[in-house]
Amino acid sequence: MYDLHLTAEQHEIRDTVREFVANEIKPVATRPARMEALERRPPADILLKASQIGLRTLSLSETLGGAGADAITACIVAEELAAGDPNVAAVLVETSALSHVLFDQLLTPAQRERFLPQFVADDAAQLALAAHEPDSDTELGVNYHRAVPVGPAIHCAATRTPTGDWIVNGVKSFVPNAPLARLIAVHVATDPKAPGVSTLLVERDTPGMTIRELDQNAGWYHGLRGDITFADCRVPAENLVGAEGRSPLAAGLEAGGRGVPLVQAMNVGLGRAAYEAALDYAKIRVQGGRRIIEHQAIGTLLAEMALRLEVARTMVWKAAWVADNPGAVASRSIDDLPLQTIARVYTAEAMHRVALDAAEVFGAMGVMRDMPLHKYVQDALIFLHSGMSPGDGKLRIAEALAEFRRS
Amino acid sequence: MDFSLNEAQREWQDRARKFAEEEIRPVSLARDRVLDPAETWDWDLFKKGSRLGFRTLAVPKEYGGPGADFVSQALVMAELSRGDSAVSKAFSQNWKWSHLIASVCTPEQKARFLSAFLADDTFVLGKGITEPNAGSDNRLPPEDDPRAGLKLKAERHGDEWILNGEKCFIANGNIGKLFFLDARSNPNVNVKEGVTMFLIPRDTPGFRSGKVFNKSGWRFYQNAELIFENARVPHANVIEQTGGASRLDKGERTGGDLFGDLELAANALGVCMSACESSLKLARSRTQGGKPLLEQQMVQLKIGRMNMLTEALRSYVLRVAWEHDQKLPSTNAGFVMNFSTEVVQEVTQLNMELHGAAGYTMDAHAAKLVRDGIIWTHLAGDAVQRMKVVRRMAKAAK
Repeated sequence: MYDLHLTAEQHEIRDTVREFVANEIKPVATRPARMEALERRPPADILLKASQIGLRTLSLSETLGGAGADAITACIVAEELAAGDPNVAAVLVETSALSHVLFDQLLTPAQRERFLPQFVADDAAQLALAAHEPDSDTELGVNYHRAVPVGPAIHCAATRTPTGDWIVNGVKSFVPNAPLARLIAVHVATDPKAPGVSTLLVERDTPGMTIRELDQNAGWYHGLRGDITFADCRVPAENLVGAEGRSPLAAGLEAGGRGVPLVQAMNVGLGRAAYEAALDYAKIRVQGGRRIIEHQAIGTLLAEMALRLEVARTMVWKAAWVADNPGAVASRSIDDLPLQTIARVYTAEAMHRVALDAAEVFGAMGVMRDMPLHKYVQDALIFLHSGMSPGDGKLRIAEALAEFRRS
Repeated sequence: MDFSLNEAQREWQDRARKFAEEEIRPVSLARDRVLDPAETWDWDLFKKGSRLGFRTLAVPKEYGGPGADFVSQALVMAELSRGDSAVSKAFSQNWKWSHLIASVCTPEQKARFLSAFLADDTFVLGKGITEPNAGSDNRLPPEDDPRAGLKLKAERHGDEWILNGEKCFIANGNIGKLFFLDARSNPNVNVKEGVTMFLIPRDTPGFRSGKVFNKSGWRFYQNAELIFENARVPHANVIEQTGGASRLDKGERTGGDLFGDLELAANALGVCMSACESSLKLARSRTQGGKPLLEQQMVQLKIGRMNMLTEALRSYVLRVAWEHDQKLPSTNAGFVMNFSTEVVQEVTQLNMELHGAAGYTMDAHAAKLVRDGIIWTHLAGDAVQRMKVVRRMAKAAK
């Protein structure tokens, strides 16, 4: 019933990624400009090397050319990468997750044939999901436990030409990976009167599509994002994913609170980096005549960090296991709860606390921009206040507890 | 019980509020955005504030200063901080030490330094204690270990002292004209007995400031290294007596250390006031589904908690200031300093939650308040700062 042994393969993958982070990512991530967050762009050479060891296609099935990682393995890798640099992790995790959802689950064999070979072959090719639009808001707060659909309205419009092709017009904003993506899944409205969402695959360099890379310091997110403008952008008829007006990706990758807790795993990785820095320092810094870890005040602070990390990782792994074993809910082995959302709220709040506590261990050096702790605290704040906020997360959990379902 | 302010206190409060609104707030975010930590200071702003009396506020009337009481000082710090926490600190850092000139310097030392300080709008004070390997060890020295604590060496040669060593994180370190420096005049006894306090003017031979630290928040006001290489200081610059430093700034007679505790709490109060205003404004103006955010229960609960904590802090700050003015022995100054850490961090964090709920951007002011608030951890609320207060309390309760 309960088995936390890593498989030989999981051990190998974790060791490989840990070594990659130590040798390739950490030396870059600890450069002063990166500490100070003046420079956050994920370095292209690191992304290439990561792809060469299989991290870009980690979750894509082996038959299609990936590593076929299950949800827990993907979470282990996400934690390791983010312990090195959450910006690098965010790019790779997004592509890997989308590669599995698109190529293994949603695309038709014909679509796969058209897009898969070049995606697998090109180490620089990332994937993106363009859902967010300017000023769009889930409006969950005002619609909590109300029988109205939540989910941002889609204004990006696709009209059908006589040949069946689509003409897309509109704007998407803060699209993860947009500046690096070879293929972008774009949410559009094909009928302005109907509420349904459709998803079209748009290849990079399609005429009529312009991607503008966002200045990271103006944004509040990890990874690399872009705004996309469509001006009479022609997309072939056969690029529709699923059925018109019923996109299987409409709710994104966190649909229903039962998806793979990848952001949560990255968040744990960030917390771990802060904790490990504090632990190392507490073992060498001497004040009060002894190493500070030998003082109760610092010892118990480190204990609190360790326990928050343990609880968060346990929650992430459980949510990941349920994502791989949805039958466990049906058989009532696992309570019917949005575990992915629960993990999101808990890790964001707990890892924020861990980063602040770690900074306390460093005293004044904990608030200096050229030292790692400042960066860890800022990264923890970004996890806490980007994407689904803890407030929205709690509302979603509360709706689930009330057995409230939106039609 | 009477919570009303007297006329002088109200006047200082109004003057600081007006200065914060008209002069500090319009430049606060721009100064915060300056990337070079040595370029964040704004002399024009500082001189304007100095001319209004904020630099010399704590100098007693008999020595030619405004002689504002502690309640007025607390009100001014909070109002200035409501405009920008680090600007408030840039002014109050002077009050922290000007009392030393007034109360413990000899008439000869006063003649040299006090009139110059009063006359010059750019005369800024600093105090050097912390060293790379002596932070907590100065605050909470191990009783029997003479190796612990600050090490900057002071050796007497006739009428001169030769100083060698380094201080770090020193407030106003690169712009101060006069520093009160703690140096180890006797390495064989513990830090409480073996430290002498010196007056160090900027032009002391062998003294210079080093790098300016690149802080996460509190950008306006600068911390730097002080470097002493065979610096020569006349014996006439020793404050009181050799080995007497630890007895000088604990506040029994002047409120030195007590002021420092009140200072951080009053400054935190201003940050919280700013966060409360900002969140209420947002909740009234931003809508969701056509309705102001303020109509949502979660938003009301957050704003309620922010204001409740802020008002509790305000009451505690003013009580401590009043206790100082009445010269009542109390450990409340330490406790209000500790308490202000929790309050400033929770209130700024809640403000950020309210501003960040929209997704992938963050309000620059909300982010700044959180960065400013984080510095309280090590200044006011780490374990050492908390245990120090408890030990003081236990000693007083004997």
